[in-house]
Amino acid sequence: MKTRSWKNPLVWLLLMLLNGCVEPYFPEVLESSNTYLVVNGFLNASGPTTIQLLRTQNLNENGQPPAETQAKVSVESESKEQFNFIETAKGVYMSYNMQLTPGKKYRLLIRTIKGKEYASEFVEVKKTPAIDQITWRPVNEEVQIFVNTHDESNNTRYYRWEYEQTWQFKAALYSTIKYENGAVSQREPNDKPIFTCWRSESSTAIELGSSIKLSSDVISNYKLLTLPRASEKIAVKNSILVKQYALSREAYEYWETLKKNTESIGTLFDPLPSQLTSNIRSLSDPNEPVIGFLTAATMQQQRIFIDSKDLPAEWRLYYPSCSMDTVMISSGQVNERFAGGSVLPVDEVYGMSPDPIGYTYAPRSCVDCTLRGTNVKPAYWE
Amino acid sequence: MSQFYRSSLLSLLLYCGFSLAVIAQHTKETLLSGTFRNVHFDAFVQRLEQETPYKFYYEPAVADSVVVNLEADQQPLRKILAQVFQGTGYAFAISADHRVFITRHNPVMTSLPGSFLIQQDEQAKGNSQLANNGFLPQQESSKKTTSELKLYEIGSPGGGKSGNANLAGTLRDARTGEAIIGAHVYIESPTIGTASDQYGYFSLSLPLGRHELHIRAIGLKNTRRQIVMHSDGKLNIEIEEDIRSLKEVVVEAEKDRNVTGLQMGMERLDIRTIKQVPTAFGETDILRVVLTLPGVKSVGEGSTGMNVRGGSTDQNLILLNDATIYNPSHLFGFFSAFNPDVIKSVELYKSAIPARYGGRLSSVLEVSTREGNKKQFSGAGGIGLLTSRLTLEGPIVKNKTSILVGGRSTYSDWLLKQIPVKSFRNSEASFYDLNTQISHEIDDKNNIYLTGYLSKDRFKLDADTLYRFQNQNASLKWKHNFHNRLYSVATATRSHYSYDISNEENTANAATMEFGIDQSGVQVDFNYFPDSKHTLDFGGSSIYYQVNPGNLTRNHPESAIKDDKLQPEKAVESALYISDRFDISQRFSVSAGLRYSVFNALGAKDVFSYAPGVPKSVNTITDTLSYGSGERIATYHGPEFRLSARYGFGNNSSVKVSFNRLRQYVHMLSNTATMAPTDTWKLSDNNIKPQVGDQVALGYYRNLRANTIEFSAEAYYKWMRDFLDYRSGANIIMNHHIETDVANAEGKAYGVEVMLKKATGKLNGWISYTYSRTLTRLNDPTVSEIINRGEWYASNFDKPHDLTMISNYRFSQRFSTSLNFTYSTGRPITLPLAKYYDGSTYRIMYSDRNQYRIPDYYRVDFAMNIEGNHRVQKLAHSSWTVAVYNLTGRRNPYSIYFKSQNGKIAGYKMSIFGQPIPTVTYNFKF
Repeated sequence: MKTRSWKNPLVWLLLMLLNGCVEPYFPEVLESSNTYLVVNGFLNASGPTTIQLLRTQNLNENGQPPAETQAKVSVESESKEQFNFIETAKGVYMSYNMQLTPGKKYRLLIRTIKGKEYASEFVEVKKTPAIDQITWRPVNEEVQIFVNTHDESNNTRYYRWEYEQTWQFKAALYSTIKYENGAVSQREPNDKPIFTCWRSESSTAIELGSSIKLSSDVISNYKLLTLPRASEKIAVKNSILVKQYALSREAYEYWETLKKNTESIGTLFDPLPSQLTSNIRSLSDPNEPVIGFLTAATMQQQRIFIDSKDLPAEWRLYYPSCSMDTVMISSGQVNERFAGGSVLPVDEVYGMSPDPIGYTYAPRSCVDCTLRGTNVKPAYWE
Repeated sequence: MSQFYRSSLLSLLLYCGFSLAVIAQHTKETLLSGTFRNVHFDAFVQRLEQETPYKFYYEPAVADSVVVNLEADQQPLRKILAQVFQGTGYAFAISADHRVFITRHNPVMTSLPGSFLIQQDEQAKGNSQLANNGFLPQQESSKKTTSELKLYEIGSPGGGKSGNANLAGTLRDARTGEAIIGAHVYIESPTIGTASDQYGYFSLSLPLGRHELHIRAIGLKNTRRQIVMHSDGKLNIEIEEDIRSLKEVVVEAEKDRNVTGLQMGMERLDIRTIKQVPTAFGETDILRVVLTLPGVKSVGEGSTGMNVRGGSTDQNLILLNDATIYNPSHLFGFFSAFNPDVIKSVELYKSAIPARYGGRLSSVLEVSTREGNKKQFSGAGGIGLLTSRLTLEGPIVKNKTSILVGGRSTYSDWLLKQIPVKSFRNSEASFYDLNTQISHEIDDKNNIYLTGYLSKDRFKLDADTLYRFQNQNASLKWKHNFHNRLYSVATATRSHYSYDISNEENTANAATMEFGIDQSGVQVDFNYFPDSKHTLDFGGSSIYYQVNPGNLTRNHPESAIKDDKLQPEKAVESALYISDRFDISQRFSVSAGLRYSVFNALGAKDVFSYAPGVPKSVNTITDTLSYGSGERIATYHGPEFRLSARYGFGNNSSVKVSFNRLRQYVHMLSNTATMAPTDTWKLSDNNIKPQVGDQVALGYYRNLRANTIEFSAEAYYKWMRDFLDYRSGANIIMNHHIETDVANAEGKAYGVEVMLKKATGKLNGWISYTYSRTLTRLNDPTVSEIINRGEWYASNFDKPHDLTMISNYRFSQRFSTSLNFTYSTGRPITLPLAKYYDGSTYRIMYSDRNQYRIPDYYRVDFAMNIEGNHRVQKLAHSSWTVAVYNLTGRRNPYSIYFKSQNGKIAGYKMSIFGQPIPTVTYNFKF
């Protein structure tokens, strides 16, 4: 039947019509190297300021984003007061001693190694009100985390949050033995712990809030993030550090637009993306695009912990599981099995004699949590 | 005086049906003898003309089909001719001065013999003298006239010899009895003319006395009537179809409309013109042909969304017999929703839009269907690669009531199933549409037209999402003639458009989304012709809208989708209008119109109010206001001016200017630049203002070579405010606060359209070039974020250069070819330029909005029409159309998109008709 329908000329024709054709399309403008300056960071009025200078990459380029090194970075106040930055890592510039006064205006000046000069507009240092409270609630099989803040002087109105979450997690299997120097031995207390680890993640989503419609400047229960019941992040204990920044209206709109620019791009059926207008400009070429929006504010932060013990008892939380295999000593394959390091021994297997006759083992990822996190307990961990 | 009585008596006899085809018998007849065996009619005539005093007047077609076989012995000519034409369908008439006229069906001169009888002795019979004698009573003259030579007397004589009188009547097709639209009715000296309206009606103010009235209509024989104006009267005219021009562009009726008509920025396409433009699937497609006209563009290949003079796709009022069509396409836009067999004509107004129309900013596309044959049953149809269609029509009561039913369907579903590719086999695509029209002539003064339209679409791509949409339209029109100078048309319409999208494949998000808009309207239009210098149109309309903006229901018990419903919207849009066309002199005429429209958005609804002075967003909602049922939520109103003027330079050229303002209260929400089945319509409310557009246009028109070549150049400038543009990342589906995702933008458009058209001859067609720009600006920080630094930017459908050539060459009466060429600049696109790391994640950097363009578009199409023979007496007329779409196989981009794959972002270009596409269509007519 199939072959017959292939011979049907109508079918061929229809195939031709419908198949259309999709060809790679890469207009010249995308082939040319697009290396525009990217300015990350903000002027921190309550601590050291970090500014990162990078370059954009072509869409089809892989690899680390190129850093703009050996640039001269400084901050200038309206009254010509100047603070210089020093490069602490490739493309990372820091200022430790900068004293920014809330309410005053400052701008960022950049001079690249090639001599190109950039300057931001003067931005006012916004005073960020303190975070009132970070709360969380288990709702509909997920944990929802909220932020609350207010400004009594009704001045702030626009807010942005970032958070960093750190969670404790455990390997699926607790190993009592180790394979070292061609032999299996018991783990000692000063061996590197591989069962309990911590892992951190910064927020990637842009979190914005505004109280502009309200009579008073209050942000009440802004939902910052949700963690599903079965997430590893709340299997043991989770800690969230929330950073709060006050924004100007222009900055708020910049971030809002950036947030709306979705990942799908350019098709006839997608919403229009739009270009962001930076407040940093090239002094030599006003048409050169610069990426980033300079803001200046004090920073407020608060940390909370979510312990799995406090979650609803009926929730089935994430539980890591792995199956083990066994290798018998008599098989003579112990060294062969463990030498590569891709599997780790978990426990000893005993027969009739007091000496082990074999070992159970599992893939390294089931046993060693340091593959995915750090075994160093953070200083703030409760 | 005695002559007067005698002639009136004769006329009376005529009226009673006597001696209609009787030939002048009182003259002394010449008797003829001879033998003719298989003699061609030409030769026969030649011999007779040599041997007798008779002169023959006939069409060459007679010679083609008539062969003479007879023996005559001292017979009068009429007997001989009666023998010759027996059974041929031809009739003849012999005048006293030995002239023989041969015509089809009916002999000429039904009354001339009568007048002649009286006048035969006055050999110096001037036409004017003839005209002064004998008259037909007024009711008599409203009989349908078919004779070109007979003298028709209009009104009763006796009044003054100077001044004007009014002549009105209806033009009808002699074969089918259908009204003829847009035919030119005029006299030459002085030049007074008009075009028949959509009911075939015309009304002219003519000086008293004798005139030759010329009638020209597309695809019909040019004809004329001899008339004498005594006072106001009626003259209904039947015109025969010109069968040879079945497939030929004969735009003779239009020939000098360009120069002499007041209307500018208007294109009228007859179905015959439309039929010869090749299309991708071999199916005659009205909208596709409209897209070849200057000033009309579309963003993509498989799209029927039109952008007229820089307007967006929702700014076109598409009317099918006065009922609004919301989605004029089938199958994602590959077919237009109009069945070519039932369509009579299409009129597109781009500027100087008559005051009668309103509600959309850019254009009016009026599609009229045929009335159906009032004389006999007939049908037409076609068999194409993907679709077939059939239309049947005929009288219910002969010459009074006719019915027409047309249907069209596709077998693409069956074809898809045959494709041995799984994704195709799991796809479905089907549509059908159905048209009906009943027209009934109650009496001389009253006509009723009832039309219905239904179209349904259903498609499913790769077994995933099922799309269905439908149009349902009905209209009832009652045309009433008060008297010659005043008639009215009362219209009631109802339009319904709805769609639903269901996702059933994935149980987790199985749901159905529905949208619907209903529109009920009444309209009364009056046309008044007070005197030869003025034409007055006035009337009013009211439309009641009901919109179901969205309803989401889960259709699987395991679905995780939450049911959701957007609040229904209601509104009333009403308007009153008046316009006067004033012909100041033969050269100079002006038309001034005013339309005043009022829009009320009505409850019951809860609406949000937003903090003033900042862009509307969820964060700036200050209050929710509840309105009860029928309560007014918002009112908008304003005048719309329609002005135009024409100044003629001699007979061959003219200049026209126009200004018009339009207001639009309904908006289409679309996150794509084309028309997609997911577009929804939104009524203006307290948060969304109506759109307002102004246009000035200037045109120069010149006809060359005895009106065979038309040249026109039109320039326009347009301002639009408060049309909807989208804010970045706008979500338009199931959005409870759509006003937060759209922004009232301002727009401007300008351009020059140049067109050279050769309407007749073996080689005909047109070339048009358009330079146009369409720009948008979003520069109000209190409305939305500022796009492109608040500068003007190219809108999605800005395609500056556009060159179109439509050419037809007729090798013989049965074989013609057409070759078409289209070029246009690629549409603008926003490109992702680079990626960057923002400290936490990679993001994409975009160019300015619409900063770049996709590759230019060009396409060449070729088609051949092969017709069966043109014998009139034939069971069915058939024709074959063989066409190749996209002859050069250029891969024009349909869509450009970027995808993230393995961390890289790659760009792709999709073309739909990327190869030459051959099609064959068989059409028949019986």
